[in-house]
Amino acid sequence: MKSYHDIASDGGSNVLEQVSVQRKHLEERLADVRHIVAVASGKGGVGKSTVTACLASALNRKGYAAGVLDADLNGPSMAHMMGVQDHIPYSRDDAMTPALSHGRIPIMSMDLFLPPGSTPVIWQAPTQRGAYTWRSMVEMSALRELLADTHWGTLDIMLVDLAPGADKLQNLADLLPNISGTLIVTTPTAVAQMVVGRSITMASDVAQVPVIGLVENMSGNTCRRCGHEEALFTGNPAAHKLAQRHDIAYLGRIPFDARLAYCLDEGISFLKDYPESTAGKAILSIADALHAWLDL
Amino acid sequence: MALHEWHGPSDGTMSIVYSCPNCGRQIAMLTNQAETQIVRSLGVKIGGRSDVAAPMESLRSNLAMQREGVETTRPSTSQTKCPFTGMVNEAFARDALTWSDPALARLESIPAFVRPMVRTNVEDYAREQGYVEITELVMDEVKAHLEM
Ligand SMILES: Nc1ncnc2c1ncn2[C@@H]1O[C@H](COP(=O)(O)OP(=O)(O)OP(=O)(O)O)[C@@H](O)[C@H]1O
Ligand SMILES: [Mg+2]
Repeated sequence: MKSYHDIASDGGSNVLEQVSVQRKHLEERLADVRHIVAVASGKGGVGKSTVTACLASALNRKGYAAGVLDADLNGPSMAHMMGVQDHIPYSRDDAMTPALSHGRIPIMSMDLFLPPGSTPVIWQAPTQRGAYTWRSMVEMSALRELLADTHWGTLDIMLVDLAPGADKLQNLADLLPNISGTLIVTTPTAVAQMVVGRSITMASDVAQVPVIGLVENMSGNTCRRCGHEEALFTGNPAAHKLAQRHDIAYLGRIPFDARLAYCLDEGISFLKDYPESTAGKAILSIADALHAWLDL
Repeated sequence: MALHEWHGPSDGTMSIVYSCPNCGRQIAMLTNQAETQIVRSLGVKIGGRSDVAAPMESLRSNLAMQREGVETTRPSTSQTKCPFTGMVNEAFARDALTWSDPALARLESIPAFVRPMVRTNVEDYAREQGYVEITELVMDEVKAHLEM
């Protein structure tokens, strides 16, 4: 009787070969992308997408070719934040067209494939029962396709907006072994930092992705009338101490600024209108730190 | 061994029976819904692939509800929702289900965001019943079946 390992083929499907073709295709597509940087945080709602959108436009203003992949498949927000949710991708040759934010920044997101409104991502299957056994695999395939089947063109940097969760970076790193590094986002609350601390360890020790540094978001509130700054969260545990504990760079703090939230809601560029605001300057300085780290 | 009969697909499983033309000995192949779905989830084609995948093929074909205006990937007869059905269809030159014009018109009158779901339900039912064409009658049956 033969054992599993004695079976010479998989019945003609050649699954291994098909998977390696997929990998090769992904590599070829990203050959002209110099750096891939993931924006991550174990904690939800801390501003990963906000930081991604703002950094993409900051780098673009500085003359770099930046692109954005929205890797949050179930809660995509980049297309909306960057004002391109009306773009309908179409295929041209062997890939699909990304949306172009401000005419220059290519964006690819699950959002562009979903009906407008509140339609969730539902994967077709003979039955939805037991979907927990395969959903994450379908998501990985979808993520691979969003990366491999998009006309990215030549990019200096691709920012990848991740979904919350310490595991998300590891999944991405499995798909893309050459990620340049990751930015970790936190807020100045003890709960966020407890969770984010684990993500930092996960990033460096398990996913083995270099941590570029920590971004502290919603750190203080700027009064809309007079520009006065005050703490948004009481207690305010200093995020730079978290950075110190993990021996990673502290890249700066972005205050809570209602105009920033408004711009993202409307899909307009905050940096275009408020480059001189405290938040605007903070974002531009984080972008400087990022391209210095990448040696762009 | 010659193909003797097949059942399903229903609820993600399918069985295919082969029998020996000489002595009548039969063997059956049963698919497991989870295994089938897991292999599908890799974005590979069961039975091997000779063509190049269309861009975002598995994303677009797996998304149950897709935005209007995004091109759908035309599933070939060998690329039905259940990969094993596809293989059997291809092997026996069985064509995919066809829709009669009135049935298609009725499908088109359904709001776009639920249309793919309805189409899938109706086609699944039709396959289960062994229908080759979907008519308005079949749609009525599915409706009655779902209301049960
Ligand atoms: N510095 C800020 N000033 C004002 N509003 C902000 C700031 N940072 C984030 N926001 C707002 O907070 C909300 C959550 O931010 P965002 O969506 O970027 O978080 P996230 O970490 O990406 O969330 P998720 O974990 O769900 O992906 C958004 O509505 C955003 O506009
Ligand atoms: Mg987000």
